[in-house]
Amino acid sequence: MTDPKPPSADAEGPPWRRAALRTGPFVAAAVVTVLLAGAAVAGADDEESHGFAQGEQFRLLAPADPGGGWDQTAREMQSALRDQVGRVEVYNVGGAGGTIGLNQYAQLPAEPTELMVTGLIMVGAIETSGSAVTMDDVTPLARLTTDYEIIVVPNDSPVRDTGDLVDLMREDLGAVSVAGGSAGGVEQILAGLIAQDIGADPAEVNYIAHAGGGEALATVLSGRATAAISGVSEILPQIEAGRLRPIAVSSTERLPALPDVPTLMEEGVDVELSNWRGVVAPAGITEEEERRLEELLMTMAESPAWRDALKRRGWEDAALAGPEFESFIESERDRTAEVLEQIGLT
Amino acid sequence: MSATADTPDPRAAQHPAAGERAAQDPAAQPSAAPPAGAPGRPPAAPAPPPFDGGSDRRGHQATAALGALMAVFGVVVLADAASLGDGVGAALVGPGGFPMVVGVLLIGVGAALAVRALAALRTAPAGAPAAELKGRFLRLAALVGALVVFAVVLPYAGFTLSSALLFTAAALLLGAPHPWRTAAYGWTLAGVLFLLFDVLIGLSLPGGPWGF
Amino acid sequence: MTEISALIDGFGAALSPVNLLWALLGVTIGTAVGVLPGIGPALTVALLLPLTFRLDPAASLIMFAGIYYGGMYGGSTTSILLNTPGESASMVSALEGNKMARAGRGAAALAAAAIGSFVAGTIGTVGLTFLAPVVADFAVGFGPPEYVALMALAFVTVSALLGRSILRGAASLLIGVTIGLVGIDQQSGDARLAFGLPSLLDGIDVVVVVVALFALGETFSRLMHGTGGETVEPVRDRAVLSRSDWRRSWPAWLRGSALGFPIGSLPAGGAEVPTFLSYSVEKRLSKRREEFGHGAIEGVAGPEAANNAAAAGVLVPLLTIGLPTSATAAVILTAFQSYGLQPGPQLFSESGPLLWTLIASLYIGNVMLLVLNLPLVRMWARLLTIPAYAIYAAVLVFATLGTFASGGTTADLLILYALGLLALLMHAADVPIAPAVVGLILGPLLEQELRRALALSQGDPMILVSSPLTVVLWVLMALALALPLVAKTVRRDVGRTAAEEEPEQEAAGPPPAPRA
Repeated sequence: MTDPKPPSADAEGPPWRRAALRTGPFVAAAVVTVLLAGAAVAGADDEESHGFAQGEQFRLLAPADPGGGWDQTAREMQSALRDQVGRVEVYNVGGAGGTIGLNQYAQLPAEPTELMVTGLIMVGAIETSGSAVTMDDVTPLARLTTDYEIIVVPNDSPVRDTGDLVDLMREDLGAVSVAGGSAGGVEQILAGLIAQDIGADPAEVNYIAHAGGGEALATVLSGRATAAISGVSEILPQIEAGRLRPIAVSSTERLPALPDVPTLMEEGVDVELSNWRGVVAPAGITEEEERRLEELLMTMAESPAWRDALKRRGWEDAALAGPEFESFIESERDRTAEVLEQIGLT
Repeated sequence: MSATADTPDPRAAQHPAAGERAAQDPAAQPSAAPPAGAPGRPPAAPAPPPFDGGSDRRGHQATAALGALMAVFGVVVLADAASLGDGVGAALVGPGGFPMVVGVLLIGVGAALAVRALAALRTAPAGAPAAELKGRFLRLAALVGALVVFAVVLPYAGFTLSSALLFTAAALLLGAPHPWRTAAYGWTLAGVLFLLFDVLIGLSLPGGPWGF
Repeated sequence: MTEISALIDGFGAALSPVNLLWALLGVTIGTAVGVLPGIGPALTVALLLPLTFRLDPAASLIMFAGIYYGGMYGGSTTSILLNTPGESASMVSALEGNKMARAGRGAAALAAAAIGSFVAGTIGTVGLTFLAPVVADFAVGFGPPEYVALMALAFVTVSALLGRSILRGAASLLIGVTIGLVGIDQQSGDARLAFGLPSLLDGIDVVVVVVALFALGETFSRLMHGTGGETVEPVRDRAVLSRSDWRRSWPAWLRGSALGFPIGSLPAGGAEVPTFLSYSVEKRLSKRREEFGHGAIEGVAGPEAANNAAAAGVLVPLLTIGLPTSATAAVILTAFQSYGLQPGPQLFSESGPLLWTLIASLYIGNVMLLVLNLPLVRMWARLLTIPAYAIYAAVLVFATLGTFASGGTTADLLILYALGLLALLMHAADVPIAPAVVGLILGPLLEQELRRALALSQGDPMILVSSPLTVVLWVLMALALALPLVAKTVRRDVGRTAAEEEPEQEAAGPPPAPRA
């Protein structure tokens, strides 16, 4: 061994140092083992003290990478559920609009403690990716939040309102560029729905996809794109700073945060769309379990921790459970599938 | 390590340097590797193009292999790009456009690397002897094997044990002198990391049947 | 002077005990990984990225910035005492610094490096404070065509400057771009190069690539080559500078800063070029030219200062345009994105308080680093006596942990290993690694912006030169392409007359003035 630090290292120094070198690692290893065992025991205690189904810990799958809306929903649920069910484990399986997470989730056993966050984007992504696993393979529990979409134009744009935009689109659809989030996402669906409503071909919309609202914002602020579509919570600071002109929101009624901005329906475009998020359980759980989980989520939706989270994140409350939620998912699926097919994304 | 320490490998002295810089340092070259390639070069012959590379045969072979690999991948990228549609709506460059360019460039640059390396191979000084090279590849295979075992075992045996085993295997392959002491270090490191990341920060690491 | 008041608010936040602790942790880790060969700041930040799931943005960004600055300080210790630069831009310091250490003047070299890093780091941070908001305001007008031109310029300069030869740099960049192609295309939703594997659908995680290319490649390469005996030069006295050392060092620090910050803040540079430039400037200006090559303190002071000022400069395009020009910057960009923050012109208006806290913490981190590195330098030097096998085995454990913690699965680990073997081949072929990381990040950006630009113009390529700025950028790119070729011909002529052609002369960029 011609190692730069030869084994002779422990042949140097006073005897106590040699002894320390020889036994030190083993002492350290023993100490760590004790700590590990202690932590493991403490962790087991923690799980038993609360509990829902047979004292088992809840696991919540966020089918997206950390940082996005689903991940944020899962993390906020984690803290809002703490009082009721103890520590909830959140884990992320990101990719392909949530369908990768959905595929993995469908493999899980029918345990009522295995939950997953879902939303409109997943419903759309199932259609665009042709995923074999669909919403039929899970048990919908509840819708929790919604984030409406808003259409904005640059401050110096000649477009003053939705009417101007619609006129431009009727004139030359390709010349109206619309910046927004990823392909097949909520923003593109909304752009397609608007085109559909005014009698244009959704496939011909000049939609410029971006990784997220921030990037789409950069494109519209540079004045290169005619308009941008984004989630209200993402773009609100820019609107308040007066850097963009909002022309319409996608909700059915005006939003409290933006009372001066009309809805699309007011402006004569019969479209409403909300980027809703909710929770599902595995297929095959009993009706009793389903009822108890729905109760649990509805109680959570009333909790101060959750109310606070809605406010902080800028989400609208959209609590809806039971059969109503299931038929809501049905109608969302039909509508999304139709417009995505017209755009040419399925 | 003892096997290679006395090899006149001009690159050896340079290699421990950190990732970002190790292989791309024009300035450290004269200090780290005094013209090790020079003695083998007949002074009368016109100097080969200053195609740097690992200046021995092994370096050129590796360069040629990398070039060939890039060219092969270029073909794969082109094939994949050709299978893609034209995109939707007003998008005029479809999903395949950019990969087409990348594929062509991969083939071009890969071929250029390979051709120049093969040309330099004729005049390059010999590198490490084949027998020693075999030993090196065996050690590499052993380490890759240990890593694969780690990946397979991790979900069942938990983070701490798997990582401790990986540490021990890697350290021994890299020339650690005391197996048991090394294992103790490995266990300590893995345990501390588990405590830090799983218990303190709350990232869930695989626990294994005993919870760590 | 809204910047000043914003900065004062930033200091208020950065001086909170918790944030001070994160800064201290960051600079300590940064110095340690800068010192240790085999681990750099890019790799460290990549490994710690999973922390962003848990910490609030201010805490982790302050820590990452500390690691980034700390790595620059620590790197100089290694290059001076061991002659193997532990971190990217420190290699020029090894030229004179190691000679000084061998002559028993290691302490003075370390002091010149540490104080120089402090002076330049502070000057660079001041530059960042005042330049960044201006650039951000300017960059608000950037649309897809401007970004295309910027990315193209960065591509050319990165492959030309970061490698030993343009061909090798381009090869590395292309490898990175190819890896970046994997996954679902943003504009069309089509899967590319995924071969039907679900784990490839969403692309290969940046953490996995960085860890594979740096950590695994380095470890495999270590296993294949081993090393000869490296000798750590002992530090004999306290790290203080004599009066004449001071006199010789301070102009070099200032000149190094003056070179480093502007070049670093170009959307092209990185920290390598200014260190070379500073070295040759110092050599040319010195009254003691004969000392160069035998341990001239200016040759340590200047490049170290240039290195740290450039490190601050690199943050300007990163924060204001979202354009990373070094491997570490590329990974820090990912950290921002995992919080849903998009570095770019809007970052200052959207997340102003966070950014100013970050900038204030850079000032604080610099002071901490000076304290950590001057009196405690011997402690850091002791890190160099940790045997290599232990370092690399630990690096492997960190690497697999980082991959798994970033949402990884067994499949991700296997991808990690495969890319690690690719990195080994790149090492063996002497193809640099850093351009691959930059290509991985910039490649997809360039493609998306290009396609957006063409969609906006409905296919008219003239949109790419539709503003004065784009024209300027394209001209700059042409110059960057032409310059190395011109320089090469000139040098070849010089080389012929001097009848000494050294292999490294093919390196692009300014001549590193090989020692006599």
